[in-house]
Amino acid sequence: MDGFSAKQNFQQLLIRWVLVVVPTIAIGYVTLRFVNFSYTALNSGIVSQTIYFSFGLLLAYSLYYYGARWVVSLIVLWLAYLLAGRIISRLPGEFDVFYATARFQLYSTLFIIGWIFGLLLAKLRWAHFVLFGLLTVVTLISISDTIDVSLSYILLHIAPVMVYGLYMLFLSPVLTERIEISAKKSAKFLVRIALFVLLILLALFITESLFSGNLKAVEKELAARGAKGKDGKGGSNKDNYDDRNGLMEKTDDGYRLKDTMRVNSKMSSSDKLMFCARLDNYFPDGSPAPLYFVYHYLTRYDPAKESFTRDVNVPSLDELDVDPARLPMYYSFTDTSILRKAMADKFRKITEASVYLSENTWKHAVLSPSSAFHIQTIPVEKDFQKTFLSAYKTYSFTSELNNAYFVYNISASPMLEKIQAQRNEELGKIKNYNRVSSQFVSYYTAYPTGAIYDSISKLAFSLSSKEARPIDKVLAVRDFFLKRNENGKRIFKYSLRAGAIDDPNIPSSKMLYNFLFKTHTGYCTYYAGASLFMLRALGVPTRFTTGFATINRSDKNKGWYWFYASQAHAWTQVYFPEYGWMDFDMTIGNEEQQGAPKPDGTPPLPPPEPWLVLSAKAETIDLKKKQLTASFKNLIFQNTPYELNKIFTRPVDASLCRVLYNKRDTTLAAISPGDSLIIVSYKDEAKQIPQPQAGVAIESQVEKFPSPIIADEIHIRGKEKQAAKKDTAKKKNNQPEKKITLKDIAWVSGFTLGSALLLLLLFPLLYLTYRTIRLALASKGTAKADQLYRATLYRLHMAGMERETETPLEYAEKKIDPSLAINFAGFMKMYLRLKYAQRNLSEEDNRQINQLAKEIGPALRKKNGFIKSFINYFKVGRAIRYFQSPTETENPTV
Amino acid sequence: MSDSISKLKTLIANIETIIRGKPQEIKYVVTALLARGHVLIEDNPGAGKTVLAKTLAQSISEGAIDFHSPQGGVAFKRIQFTPDLLPMDLIGSHIYDETKKDFVFKKGPLFTHVLLADEINRASPKVQSALLECMAENQISAGDTTFQLDPFFFTIATQNPIEMEGTYPLPAAQLDRFYMKISFGYVSEEVELDIYTNYLTINNGKNTIKQVLAYNDIIHLQQEAEKVYIHPELIKGVVHIVQGTRKHQEIALGCSTRGGITFIKCLKAWALVNQRDYVIEDDLRTLAQPVLHHRLIFRNREAARTALSQIVDAEVNKLSKMGIQSKK
Repeated sequence: MDGFSAKQNFQQLLIRWVLVVVPTIAIGYVTLRFVNFSYTALNSGIVSQTIYFSFGLLLAYSLYYYGARWVVSLIVLWLAYLLAGRIISRLPGEFDVFYATARFQLYSTLFIIGWIFGLLLAKLRWAHFVLFGLLTVVTLISISDTIDVSLSYILLHIAPVMVYGLYMLFLSPVLTERIEISAKKSAKFLVRIALFVLLILLALFITESLFSGNLKAVEKELAARGAKGKDGKGGSNKDNYDDRNGLMEKTDDGYRLKDTMRVNSKMSSSDKLMFCARLDNYFPDGSPAPLYFVYHYLTRYDPAKESFTRDVNVPSLDELDVDPARLPMYYSFTDTSILRKAMADKFRKITEASVYLSENTWKHAVLSPSSAFHIQTIPVEKDFQKTFLSAYKTYSFTSELNNAYFVYNISASPMLEKIQAQRNEELGKIKNYNRVSSQFVSYYTAYPTGAIYDSISKLAFSLSSKEARPIDKVLAVRDFFLKRNENGKRIFKYSLRAGAIDDPNIPSSKMLYNFLFKTHTGYCTYYAGASLFMLRALGVPTRFTTGFATINRSDKNKGWYWFYASQAHAWTQVYFPEYGWMDFDMTIGNEEQQGAPKPDGTPPLPPPEPWLVLSAKAETIDLKKKQLTASFKNLIFQNTPYELNKIFTRPVDASLCRVLYNKRDTTLAAISPGDSLIIVSYKDEAKQIPQPQAGVAIESQVEKFPSPIIADEIHIRGKEKQAAKKDTAKKKNNQPEKKITLKDIAWVSGFTLGSALLLLLLFPLLYLTYRTIRLALASKGTAKADQLYRATLYRLHMAGMERETETPLEYAEKKIDPSLAINFAGFMKMYLRLKYAQRNLSEEDNRQINQLAKEIGPALRKKNGFIKSFINYFKVGRAIRYFQSPTETENPTV
Repeated sequence: MSDSISKLKTLIANIETIIRGKPQEIKYVVTALLARGHVLIEDNPGAGKTVLAKTLAQSISEGAIDFHSPQGGVAFKRIQFTPDLLPMDLIGSHIYDETKKDFVFKKGPLFTHVLLADEINRASPKVQSALLECMAENQISAGDTTFQLDPFFFTIATQNPIEMEGTYPLPAAQLDRFYMKISFGYVSEEVELDIYTNYLTINNGKNTIKQVLAYNDIIHLQQEAEKVYIHPELIKGVVHIVQGTRKHQEIALGCSTRGGITFIKCLKAWALVNQRDYVIEDDLRTLAQPVLHHRLIFRNREAARTALSQIVDAEVNKLSKMGIQSKK
């Protein structure tokens, strides 16, 4: 940019603002929108976010355009950030400090991202590649977090980034030099931009019309694949938990005690809210009694993989096997066999829990207190839908003896200590497992062989004897972990950085050994794993349990608990005959680093209770009257599901109701005949509600329903008629859900991008083919001369002899003939005569045409060699230059 | 046609024996002659301008109107313009004739076939305009009489580069009268060596130059040049170029219609000089600079260097991509 006046420089900067900065801001806005949809944590106004982003971008771009040093300006920026943070946090009085700083951090982060974008765009010629990649990744990630996506949804989200990438690619050669402003040039430029837009639209149109069939097929297949993954046995369920705590590290099947330190080292990532729950469980004195929320039981230890896994053939497993995400609204699933499988009858009660899942949580598994046997999906109140995507209510068969205050919260209060003591005393009544089936005991005490395992069992026997009561064995193991050394310090410590070993190839048993005998440092998985082995060695049926530790942090909302990603936990459950499975959490509290607990939030309001839920098919819709007729066979009447013996058709008054599609509000017009709907009518004093009567057939009660049925909510479930038809066959109306993984998206977008690139790469060859065909087809002398002229110019251009501002004749005389030793100039003179003098072709002219046609190929091959000539046709940039007007040179002085 | 071409070839070859290493400039001058126009040469002293004009005049045998020429050939006069030159020094003046007892008109140096107006921009505007009248109208008014000049009348004016001191730059309106403005420049090393080696021969040649063409031949060639075919697309190209200069942002004053006509005339003559009876796209590019550049006023120096060639290059490129138009 040197050598120009300040005014010119500024002008250039202004042009670049329009050409580069504005589109980047636009794409930033679009991307922020997507990200905001996927991550509600960001939620503080997309427009203001974009403003901060653009501010950073503009400032950085302008500064670096004038050659600012990036290191210096970054340091200044950092200092400004720190200073501003200080000032804001010290603002007095009513200023909400927390809110201000959180927002401030978000905005400053966006500002800095904008700044980096500006720096890249101003400094790097290939910045658009970097930005394009970055934006694509961000978009893909934000899409992949969305469930219920269709392929067109993906394409729609990817398209802006793709267009931006292409636009920058198209623009980048212009930006390297000074941009001239003249009426003609800018008009030309505008035309080029317009053509570019047209091309994009055309491409989109072609993609849409050509591939829509294929895309639908892909979409279906993806949907089918997603459904298949979930239909498989519980054991093959993929764990999509994205928990950076390290516990939830994803493997195909279960958890491995392997190194996860690299992921763990950051505590900040664990601030994500996973879910919140209301647990209807209290101590006799009325204070809340939290229970750990169970996710899965990892019952089997796989010595080959050295990992704890879920198992298929488990003797009496009390785990509810259902996908709550696939339960229609208000529908429930009950498995009463779990009451039996819990194998307990003493001190048992039924505990209700309502779980509200945030978007961070994998919604396909039941999270509940141990031994849940009933689940019902419930709606989330409108005001809370930003935070919580779905919710369900569970009933668990829990033990009164069980609660989260075991082992490490003893010192919390004397009341709790008393409860612990009572519990231990009660469980102490169990002397042995003689009365339990040997198959059960041997399954849950299965112990691997090997030197390390032997040393663990030796350690276990040194703590307790085989004859001791189970509770004593458990307490012995607990005391082992609680042991203090001569200085009164705990021997075992909690740390997310489990030792110095940082090699994922070290087998987990070896790490467990290190933990027990050397480092004494680990996180919950280590404690749970070690105690499981020790207890199993001592003959106590034990299982590895994953889920969430429940922490009671405030009495403000009694019974409500908040679960953050950092609470993901692993612990052991020990079986006591007649009492059932008891939680025993051996993990040592983290003494050194007791982070300030996050406060509990505001609990969502309970949704109104429906008296009627219809699983119906829309027949007719009258938008004027706001009425529709619906046919239904399945319904939930006063919380009891029924299947009717015939299909009923009833008018439904939708004048006051909410219509939802994909959990978003929509209008009645979105319903079309044939859609499957869930129609909900609330309990409302004003309405006359028929009460269920014992002994009366449901069908006759349906006859008594008011007509029209007044709907309060209509959920559009599916637009596909087929799906609805299929589903009626099943009792549980399980519509397969489209879950598209990142891999699928990457595959599709990669394919699209790849084919576009391939087309671009092949473009020069294709154009050559086109020219050759045109030449071959031209029969008449003049036409042949014309085609030969065009084909030759193109071939010469692609052979590396690019014509600049010369006229073709000059080009032939000065460049071609000397280097190729052919008579192209002669041909050119003849051609120009044909073109401008409108003469007829002579014999000589024909001879000249044929001669050139014959000469040109061999001459080019002679110059470049066959292979190089061929390779030249892959130089896309060169081919594109052929279609551009030549760059101007200075006047020759006359 | 072939007859005219051979005559032109001999004329050019004849001049080239004296003026070495400047084929393009010779062609330009001959083109202007055939287009019935005048040439302005802007150059430093000693580049061979005078010799070119003189050689051209000497190559053509005597003209129709009897202007006296001591060396033979058509009449050649040279005027060195100075700031104190007066119009009557050019045109001539009425002198009292004792014998006739009457004022008789004594013809000035303008009454000639080939006129070399040296350093035209050193004379006052008054003198410049007197010269330009006869260039434009081919006539001279003195007092109450108007004298017709020979249709051959051909002016080669020279001027010092504008930057030099003591000059009266020609206004745009007067520059417009010149068909071409060319620059001689210095010759290449080899040509200069050749000139120094053979300067005696060259000098002698000046006096013994052959008269290869008759006066009528030139008149015939001028008619021949008008017959040269110019393709409608090329005329469109000229229109685009001319209009382009008017629309260009960096050009304050675009090309006039007279300039456009001149361009067409020159294109035809140039084609003939290049032994063609049709104009091609290359001619547009070659002639745009000498014919059009001096007619334009640019807003800045950058534009003066690039603007015109931008317009012309774009147009020529467009033409080169146009296929052969079928005959109608």
